Amino acid sequence: MAATDVIVSIVFYAIAALMVVAGISMVVAQHMIRSALLLIVVLSGVAILYMMLSADFLAVAQLLVYVGAIAVLMLFAIMLTPAQVDLSGGSSEAQKISAALTALVVGVIAISVVTTHPWNLRASPLNVETTERIGMLLLNTYVLPFWIASILLTVGLIGAIVIAREE
Amino acid sequence: MALAPVGLQHFLVLAVILFCIGMYGALSRSNAVGILLSIELMLNAVNIMMVSFARYIDTPQELAGQVFAIFIMTVAAAEAAVGLAIVISVYRLRHTIQVEDIDLLKG
Repeated sequence: MAATDVIVSIVFYAIAALMVVAGISMVVAQHMIRSALLLIVVLSGVAILYMMLSADFLAVAQLLVYVGAIAVLMLFAIMLTPAQVDLSGGSSEAQKISAALTALVVGVIAISVVTTHPWNLRASPLNVETTERIGMLLLNTYVLPFWIASILLTVGLIGAIVIAREE
Repeated sequence: MALAPVGLQHFLVLAVILFCIGMYGALSRSNAVGILLSIELMLNAVNIMMVSFARYIDTPQELAGQVFAIFIMTVAAAEAAVGLAIVISVYRLRHTIQVEDIDLLKG
């Protein structure tokens, strides 16, 4: 194994452990604000994974859109709904157990599928400059979804303002 | 596999684990903002899968996975904005965002 492989492995396992621990703490945290801050940790970890997957544009977009915008939106929503601590009595034990069982079953099935499926792998992993190519794809092959996505964002933001404003 | 070179399956297994953590949160939370936070985690897990497919899978259309991830990100942004607007609106009307208490449509 080459030295770079060792470094990549160490970074990957460290980031993966951090993300899993932060994710579990996030879903069991009693206070929403702590939950949101732990979500920011996980989202930053996803950005680092994108860098490891040679998705440079997506890594920056992840930091801007998720860690920048959506996280702030979540913090604002928590700020505007005060005293809504997720009490342990809020959801029953039976609900938590069935939720854990559902997640566990889905996880076992999905992990067994992704580890046994014969993936049609590339000879060498894709390692190119992505920003320019993504721009070309968005304005050629995927121009219609791009256009619909822009309408969706406009409609979504107008809808959010209309729903949330004071009467 | 303890220190095999990091490949497609490592990223996929990590994404599945994160997806299931998010699924547990979305199903077990009683706070509507908590459910939305968990859904963001699930969407991000799917995005990790998309991007790792774009890097490792042999397809005629290069980078399609990354473009898909961008569209998922767009829809997630719209979903978060509308979802949180609904939560704030419900809080203003009912002074609670515990999903058990929001049962206006319950027969």
